[in-house]
Amino acid sequence: MKIGFFVGCNTAFNRPDLEQAVRYAFPALGVELDNLDGQSCCPSFGTLPSVDKVGWCAVSSRNITLAEEKGLDMLTVCGSCYGSLSEAKYKLDSEPEVKAKVNELLEMAGREYKGTSNIRHSYYYLFNELGPDKIKEKLKYKLDGLTVALQPGCHSLWPSKVYFDKEDDTFHPRILKEMCEALGATVGHYSRLLDCCGMGALRSTDMGKALGLVEKKLVSMKEEVNPDLIVAGCSSCLIQFDTAQKILQKEKKINFEIPVLHYMQLLAICLGADPEQVAVLGETNVKSVIDRIREKQ
Amino acid sequence: MPRIGVYICHCGENIAGAVNIEEVRQYAENLPDVAVARNYLFMCSDPGQELIRQDLKSGLVDRVVVAACTPRTHEPIFREAVAEAGYNKYLLEMANIRDQDSWAHWHDKEGATAKAKKLVASAVAKAAYLEPLEDKFVEVTKAAMVIGGGVSGMFSALDLARMGYQVYLVEKNPSIGGNMAKLDKTFPTNDCSACILTPIMVQVGTHPKIKTMTYSEVESVEGSFGNFKVKVRQKQRYIDWDKCTGCGDCVSACLAKKIPNEFNEGMDNRTAVYIEFPQAVPKRAVVDIEHCLNCGKRTIGTAPKISPKTGEPILAPCEKACKTGALDRSRAYDPEGDILEFDVGTIIVTTGYRVMDKTPFKEYSPQSPNVVTAMQLERILSATGPTQGHFERPSDKKKPHTIAFVSCVGSRDKKHHTYCSKVCCMYMLKEARLIKEKYPDTEIYMFFIDVRTAGKDFDEYYTYCRNLGIKMIRGRVGAVDELPGDQLRVRAYDVDLGTPVELDADLVVLATAIEPAPGLAELGRKLGINCGSEGFLKEMHTKLYPVETAVRGIYIAGCVQGPKDIPDAVSQARAASSAAAVPLTYGKIVVEPLISEVNQRICSGCGTCEKLCPYSAIKLMEDKGGRLRSHIDEALCAGCGVCAASCPSGAITLHGYTNVQIDAQIKALACS
Amino acid sequence: MSETQGALGVVNLSAGDPNLVGEIKELGGEEILECIQCAKCAAVCPMVLAGFPFFNKKVIQAILLGLREELLEDASIWACQSCNRCTEICPRELNPFEVVQAMRRLAFREFALPTMAINGLKSLYDTGHAVYMSGAGKSREKVGLPEKPPSTIADEKALQELRTIIRNTDLADLGIIPMGD
Repeated sequence: MKIGFFVGCNTAFNRPDLEQAVRYAFPALGVELDNLDGQSCCPSFGTLPSVDKVGWCAVSSRNITLAEEKGLDMLTVCGSCYGSLSEAKYKLDSEPEVKAKVNELLEMAGREYKGTSNIRHSYYYLFNELGPDKIKEKLKYKLDGLTVALQPGCHSLWPSKVYFDKEDDTFHPRILKEMCEALGATVGHYSRLLDCCGMGALRSTDMGKALGLVEKKLVSMKEEVNPDLIVAGCSSCLIQFDTAQKILQKEKKINFEIPVLHYMQLLAICLGADPEQVAVLGETNVKSVIDRIREKQ
Repeated sequence: MPRIGVYICHCGENIAGAVNIEEVRQYAENLPDVAVARNYLFMCSDPGQELIRQDLKSGLVDRVVVAACTPRTHEPIFREAVAEAGYNKYLLEMANIRDQDSWAHWHDKEGATAKAKKLVASAVAKAAYLEPLEDKFVEVTKAAMVIGGGVSGMFSALDLARMGYQVYLVEKNPSIGGNMAKLDKTFPTNDCSACILTPIMVQVGTHPKIKTMTYSEVESVEGSFGNFKVKVRQKQRYIDWDKCTGCGDCVSACLAKKIPNEFNEGMDNRTAVYIEFPQAVPKRAVVDIEHCLNCGKRTIGTAPKISPKTGEPILAPCEKACKTGALDRSRAYDPEGDILEFDVGTIIVTTGYRVMDKTPFKEYSPQSPNVVTAMQLERILSATGPTQGHFERPSDKKKPHTIAFVSCVGSRDKKHHTYCSKVCCMYMLKEARLIKEKYPDTEIYMFFIDVRTAGKDFDEYYTYCRNLGIKMIRGRVGAVDELPGDQLRVRAYDVDLGTPVELDADLVVLATAIEPAPGLAELGRKLGINCGSEGFLKEMHTKLYPVETAVRGIYIAGCVQGPKDIPDAVSQARAASSAAAVPLTYGKIVVEPLISEVNQRICSGCGTCEKLCPYSAIKLMEDKGGRLRSHIDEALCAGCGVCAASCPSGAITLHGYTNVQIDAQIKALACS
Repeated sequence: MSETQGALGVVNLSAGDPNLVGEIKELGGEEILECIQCAKCAAVCPMVLAGFPFFNKKVIQAILLGLREELLEDASIWACQSCNRCTEICPRELNPFEVVQAMRRLAFREFALPTMAINGLKSLYDTGHAVYMSGAGKSREKVGLPEKPPSTIADEKALQELRTIIRNTDLADLGIIPMGD
């Protein structure tokens, strides 16, 4: 099995430990990763999608053609990348005039969008193509006794009609939950599971308001689950939860800290990766949790 | 030699505004066989018709061409005028120089006048070949069938029965009563639903002229208006209803207890042997054979084993409990039930509606037992419901303190139904009011897009509810999330406050859409009537003919035609029975003679016409010599002409549109 | 509460721009006229929950009434998360997210932009990434990755391809960012 790895800006530059986690975990599970050399920004919603539809689809499809050339699907770890690429692909596949205009632009770069590659999202791909049981077989460490709260993130859920990998019930997502349970964790439910974390455009426009959203989620997680770890399904959510807590603590809005990891980082650790490579760049204290996991075995 | 009178109508300005009437009149005067050409301002008026009558009576003309508006509305009027003068009413031909000429070519006066001349020439050419034809009459069977025994069907049936007609009332459930029987109280009077409904049910059940067939469905309908041949399948109940007294002992004895109870909207269970609800009419038990456990292998239609100890037959608990011998499992019942056949003159369809299920609305957490549909709440509030009228919420049987009502779930929604279900605003208010009046310390929040309370006494009902302290919020609920402890968080945007709002509720009630009852499209096909785009049966004309359908003799009433409340449903039901009684009273159906006829001597029996007839009016039958010849059923023939056009032998004549007539018209159009 | 929820003052409807709806439809908000202002989208929008003066439902109503200036003056539309929860539940299938994007596209054409939007585009053109951190090479090497990711940062030809494409989109006509080599 092989797939093209679309890294995404935030992962590549802000949290390359997440990138490394993917580069460890996928091969460990038998899936080869292709670099998709020459990839660019997806493009992020605040850039070309906010300027014009055709420009957005052109930049997205240039990325997609990198995978099409190699006959591979694309893998994302960030919900925004998943969203921008999938929505662009949906428009290209359902609006012939857009596809025609985009291919005119791609021709100038010597490329053509054909529509032969699918956009996949990290843990959905593993769930659908491998399944929790196969993953369990390869685990070196288990999370027994660990309680986690989930942050699936908005983008991988909605708008469900454009996505290749999706949930049956987008308001009661279960795939991230089952993937964590496959690692042995106890997943607690909290009532604000589906709320947006505030990372992205909202945060860039008004940091204070964005922090208000995160605070509400953190409090809900703490009061209803009291987790040892927050597991994020999206790299943007990862960064938001990881960096917001110190600020909120300073502002005396919260008096606790919950370590945060992306699912792929957690998976990599459980498969035996070196934490210094896959989970070292965060601000929250993940080390204590990781030590606990690795001590058990 | 025919003597044709041509009468050209100004139709006020409608025709004269574009067509030069005098020019056309002069032109018509000079056409072959035309004895006189006149014009008048409004031919359909009495003086206009008098012109025709005079000319006919005086012998000046013996056939009439009227160049005016559309035959669709006015042909009968002019035919009457011809008949009044003592002539055969089919010696009339109309030329439509309004819809097809002046209206279409309003800005081209020259062209419109030229076209009017052609149209008149064509009509005159045909008129020369018109033949006198006689109306035929078919006797009407003085009986009616009503399909669906809810409140609409029952009122239709009673009206017709009281007029003296035999009524066959077919209902698919074991009892009549329909959805209204499930309601607790009805708005705007807050009458107890069962209290006002059961007397009607009893009247229906005991009326000598109404044959009530419950647990039955229509199998097929053949024939046509005035003489429908109906087959009804009485589903197998495995109990002799002549002996059953409805005592309920078999129900108490039944061991199969885990079947979701449809009457209580799935909120509790019933047994396999069951009586639909306590006030059922007829009050008879039914064996739901699919869920029957066949206790002790006591299958239907077999002799019981004899106990070696006692020498007595070993009976199933239900059989044993039955004191009248109605429940006898030894009888060899046909699982297909029985087919009843009968004839009726008219049919009324009143199959009602179904309440949409909550499952598709994932954003409202439908998997929670404390998220219920309004009909489910109705059952909770009802004294005969799953909680015997105690106000308890499903998960923990505690009395809910905070209740949220969510409107428009599945209605006004392109993903489900684009229509407004009309009754929900009122029934939500009704349920809220009933709860608030009984338990004043309950906090009730109602979330609307709009509040639609337009009927008689409805807006007063709404303001009364506001006065009770029920809180109304404008803004559709966007999410219902499950909280710990079986609570539910309702999220909306309060448009009036201009802020997002959250509510922690014990019970969330979804006002789901009213949908057409399942199987409606198939029933429609059996009857030859259509459903509209939203799935309800289509009336002939939304404003003027709301109870008629495209098929003469079949009428619709109640929610089968579209969402409506009980006052409107009953009004429509009584309108339908009145309309359905007209042909029964008149006693005969006029069959227009403008239908096809086969000349048996020319017919070769090839069968082409039989295959093509869209009305199934043609059958090949053997004549005296054993040869196959085509026969057209006059009552079914609609005069479409497909058979006449396709007959390779030219054996079929379509009266009123013969080959000779049409040839003459074509010649006139081409050469004028 | 009242302040952050956007006090528009008395709005003169006669002064509304009748062309605004048409422009929004052209720019991607094709279904905007389907809206019945039911407020289901507003119930779950992060912009509402965070307290922004404008948000999906209100943006649509403002567009329908032609309140061009009021919309261009407010920065709220740049806070849309593109989460698409509104799209998922809208009963009129009008895609409120697309309407907000269309309004942003209009704002671009009217040069009513926040700096962060311009910076993002500039970074995209210059490096191929909307988010680029020049010091990232160090943290990459720390975790055992090559200094540069396999993107336009490491591949000049790919960057030129991207620039060629961008230079031929509407963005080039707007002259908002320099598009040299």
